[in-house]
Amino acid sequence: MAIPHPRDIQVAVVDWLDERYPFSKAVDEALYQRVPNFANAFYYCFGGMVFILIVFQLLTGVLLALYYVPDAGGNPAPAYTSVQFIQNTVYLGWLIRGVHFWSANLLIVMVLIHMARVYWTGSYRAPRELNWMVGVLMLLIILALSLTGYLLPWDTKAYFATEVTIKIAGSAPPQQLGAFIKEILQGGPVVGPPTLQRFFTLHVFVLPALIVLLMYVHFRFIRAHGISEPL
Amino acid sequence: MSDKDLTKEGPGATVATPPREIEIVESDGHGGHTLEPEWKRLPIGPDHILYPVVVGLALFPILMGDAGHHLADDMPDDETHPFFPDHFWPYPIIAVVMLIAVGLLSAFVQKNLQLEASADPRAVTIPRPDWYFLFLFQFLKLGPELIMSLVIPPIVVGALLLFPFIDAIAGPRIARRLGWKRWPVPGRNIITGTIFVAGLAFIAFLTLWALAGPNFCLPYLTGKVCGA
Repeated sequence: MAIPHPRDIQVAVVDWLDERYPFSKAVDEALYQRVPNFANAFYYCFGGMVFILIVFQLLTGVLLALYYVPDAGGNPAPAYTSVQFIQNTVYLGWLIRGVHFWSANLLIVMVLIHMARVYWTGSYRAPRELNWMVGVLMLLIILALSLTGYLLPWDTKAYFATEVTIKIAGSAPPQQLGAFIKEILQGGPVVGPPTLQRFFTLHVFVLPALIVLLMYVHFRFIRAHGISEPL
Repeated sequence: MSDKDLTKEGPGATVATPPREIEIVESDGHGGHTLEPEWKRLPIGPDHILYPVVVGLALFPILMGDAGHHLADDMPDDETHPFFPDHFWPYPIIAVVMLIAVGLLSAFVQKNLQLEASADPRAVTIPRPDWYFLFLFQFLKLGPELIMSLVIPPIVVGALLLFPFIDAIAGPRIARRLGWKRWPVPGRNIITGTIFVAGLAFIAFLTLWALAGPNFCLPYLTGKVCGA
């Protein structure tokens, strides 16, 4: 029996998919739909840049998680020594951590610029109000990601900055509520190993899941409403 | 006897309705969207070696659901262009440029990446947040802690979240009172535009003040409050 050419296999697979779902039609519609020329302006790229930076964050975050140890017991703590190990010993660890660090900083800048563009051009107006709200929630999640990520290296700077943050959150009235928030965030009487564990869980599992979900909603809205008109 | 011959009378009997004429709508098969004509597209069909790449690119918009009726669907052809490759091509380039930029920053700005000593609760240090929280850190010093930390920031965030509704409800009323014909977008609106620029300037001012350090004070403006 003759071995089929890879191209024939590919065509057969596409035909098979087309019989079950309008596959190639969906591909055509997705790729060849027309976009207004004004959408080529540089300031319409800011949202895409935010997306690219979030992808960088997710990818480098996964790589960092291969070596990071979320344990703050002892001095120096394994969390601290694992970050030092990533930075100084792991092959290209400095680059992965650097990309994660600088992308996080750049991400905040780009989110603010993107938001400023949306505000300035009035793209939050009907029917895009809900998408604006999703965007603001994403900004808050990105700030929460930065806040939780700041503690992970477990150095002096991170420790005391987090202590201040928790103190502020814990001063919410009434006193019982403040104490409850502090207990939830801190996991004990002082900032310690349980705090790191909680911040790690938030930073690595909860907040990325939320941001991915909100990004999906954000893009669905963009796809439904299309690109907004320029000024 | 067939069902047709049955006479339906009394409560619950259906009322005979004349057959309706169903309007037939001519469809282009693409949900009303204008697509790039086939002869203008890149020749990457199902038999092309790069078709899996094209499918990979298409997966993203496909997963994002059906596109609504967009502005481009009603625009003349010369004012629009296809998503692929015309609109898509800058993004891979932007991604590469950004990756190179953050890679260079990682290589040459190592200072920010270096760790301080391992966390020790007994250490004495002035806590200082990252640059994006510096304005908030400085803002907290300008008044009673409770108001500056737990009253004003949530109000600002709430206002930001609900801004489209505030703009839609309050804007036209303000415009009417001022005798304006309409309530323009912030880029053309002296009120919301100024609020935006003033807000940014205030944030920048607080950040710079915090960055200036603990020896930098503005006694005439804020009493004894100094930088971070």
